[in-house]
Amino acid sequence: MNPVIRALLGSAQAEFIQLARARSLVILTVVQAVTFLFLVSLFGMTGARAPTALIDYDKGMYAQIFVQNLKTAHHSFTIIPMDEETANRALAHGNLVAEIIIPAGFSDAMSQGKTVPLKVIVDNIDTDMTDDIQRALPSAIIQFAKQIKLPGIHVQVAEHDLIDHDTDFIPYLVVSSLVLAAFTISGILSAVAVAREYETGTAAMLALAPVHPIVPLVGRVLATCAVSMGALAITCCVAVFGYGIIPKHPFEMAATLASCVIIFGCIGVALGAGMKRTLPVASLVFGIALPLFMFSGSYEPERFDGNTIWTLAHFSPVYYAVGILEHAAYGLIVTPESVSLNFLYLLGWAVGALLVAAIFTRRGVTR
Amino acid sequence: MKDVLIVTTAVNESGDQVSAPARSAIEFKNVICKIGSKNVLDNINLSFKRGEITGILGPNGAGKTTLISIMTSLRKHTSGEVTVLDEKLPVRGGRLRQRIGVVLQETALYEELTTVENLRFAASLYNVKDVKASIKNVLELLMLSDRANQIVRTLSGGLRRRVAIARALLHDPELLIIDEPTLGVDVEARHAIWSHMRVLKSKGRTVIVATNYLDEAQALCDQVAVLRTGKLLTFETPESLLARTGICLDVTCEDAAGQSITDAVMRVPGVLRVEKTETGLTVFLKGEQMSKDVISVILATAQIEGVRMRAPDLLEVFKSLEQPTGRT
Repeated sequence: MNPVIRALLGSAQAEFIQLARARSLVILTVVQAVTFLFLVSLFGMTGARAPTALIDYDKGMYAQIFVQNLKTAHHSFTIIPMDEETANRALAHGNLVAEIIIPAGFSDAMSQGKTVPLKVIVDNIDTDMTDDIQRALPSAIIQFAKQIKLPGIHVQVAEHDLIDHDTDFIPYLVVSSLVLAAFTISGILSAVAVAREYETGTAAMLALAPVHPIVPLVGRVLATCAVSMGALAITCCVAVFGYGIIPKHPFEMAATLASCVIIFGCIGVALGAGMKRTLPVASLVFGIALPLFMFSGSYEPERFDGNTIWTLAHFSPVYYAVGILEHAAYGLIVTPESVSLNFLYLLGWAVGALLVAAIFTRRGVTR
Repeated sequence: MKDVLIVTTAVNESGDQVSAPARSAIEFKNVICKIGSKNVLDNINLSFKRGEITGILGPNGAGKTTLISIMTSLRKHTSGEVTVLDEKLPVRGGRLRQRIGVVLQETALYEELTTVENLRFAASLYNVKDVKASIKNVLELLMLSDRANQIVRTLSGGLRRRVAIARALLHDPELLIIDEPTLGVDVEARHAIWSHMRVLKSKGRTVIVATNYLDEAQALCDQVAVLRTGKLLTFETPESLLARTGICLDVTCEDAAGQSITDAVMRVPGVLRVEKTETGLTVFLKGEQMSKDVISVILATAQIEGVRMRAPDLLEVFKSLEQPTGRT
């Protein structure tokens, strides 16, 4: 057998044995991958369905139609019917974001074509929620007016969807969070495996061997990548069976996630060889992964966030990975670059990270 | 065994047979190594013979580890010429590394792996052909067979050192370099390691040992290079080094008595020097046989609390090299 391949496999085997003896680490890794899905789900849910009290003093036909329109106007709040006293108490305790009060005589006034003032009390602790209420009310009023055929509404929306299906926010987030899971798990496991070599002094032993020290380090990373892929496979199962996400292009998705694991593993090698300490490098990988995830089109196509952020996103491998993954899962095109070009960029990242790792590795043990 | 001590014969002009010197395993010519602006090795000229155990002796910071790092290509020298196993450094690729076995100061073992797993991994790095047989051989040589499946983390310091030596021998190297072979090990393990190294020598291997301990150099080495603050003080046999330093006679006495004893013993032939200590004096004698005469002179000169004879320590060797005779 070729000496390099032998060293590579020998090193991978040694890492597998070490990982097998550190079962809690492996279990925590899998748990970490799954919790990322919950993390982004919670994130998606926090901006939605804020409790809003509806105090209806009218209870007539028009009031009911208006309430129905309010319920469908915006996903950011949930309408809860209650009496004014309870609502005031709840608002004062911070259990409500707003009160919408439909006055008595609302239906009569509507039937006579009169203007009715609608009282809204908003807890403006966070203007984001206030904005949502402010956006939702006119929208509900217009829908209501259209439904009861009030005169004076001359604008109709003629919506043409670019994509033949809608994708909910949380499922969109869940798919992109798989990239974050791949980054952190593979990155941390690889970086720690490499940094440990320096911490324990075994890196010097690798430098004394006839093969380049990057070879055994890559061997170790092969093992950590295999474990990461296992963890991601479990995470994907949660996405499929828990969230009901059936990928449109399953092989593309599998290939992308496998590439992500390898690329982020290589980045982990470079960081581990550069930092040479396990604890700081684990924090660093996490610290790098989150911002890259945030501005790489994980919530929406990145070009919607302005040119500066979009340009910066091109320096992040997560941008390309999210682009491919959203296509694989839902057939969405979220980057102007084609899927194959995104794959090429990812490949470039992997090669670049390996080169950096090779330089750092040699420099780390020889002076 | 890949290499043995080669002694060739030649004939000189007058027709007598003369022995040509053996090829050097390692040769340093005017080697300087700087770290920042500091010379950690200063103009080193050394030649380590093949088939011998050579010691590099010196206190911490003397430059021993730097010297070893250069031999093993872990560090580059600033100037001069270094030849290892006939290859001039720096050497690209792994050809030379395949011929060298190294035991570093830190054993650099994988703590969570067993002894055998560590050796198996090293075998994959060095492309060892018959892994099973090679591992069995080194385990037997270092008497580690019963520890083969023990996790390294649970081994004692001495056993770890032995595992590290076993790993360095696994690929049957021509040259074995060991930094501090008995650092942190107990007396029993120390003697066991010395005995393994003597076995290696008897099998024709060249061994370089860096050590802090004079008795280790004396017990193991054919030649000793003594370093201090990056400079080579001497390169000779341990016996001649000790003879030069002399035998120590520790005299416990009052300060006033110490002065008169110093004056008296310095007149005795064979007394190399006298050193004042916290408890009295240390008299350095050329040989053990003259101790009786010196003790008689001491007893005749002043009242003392006690006297004891011992071998010199490393610091005393250094002092003798820097200041061969006199009083301090």
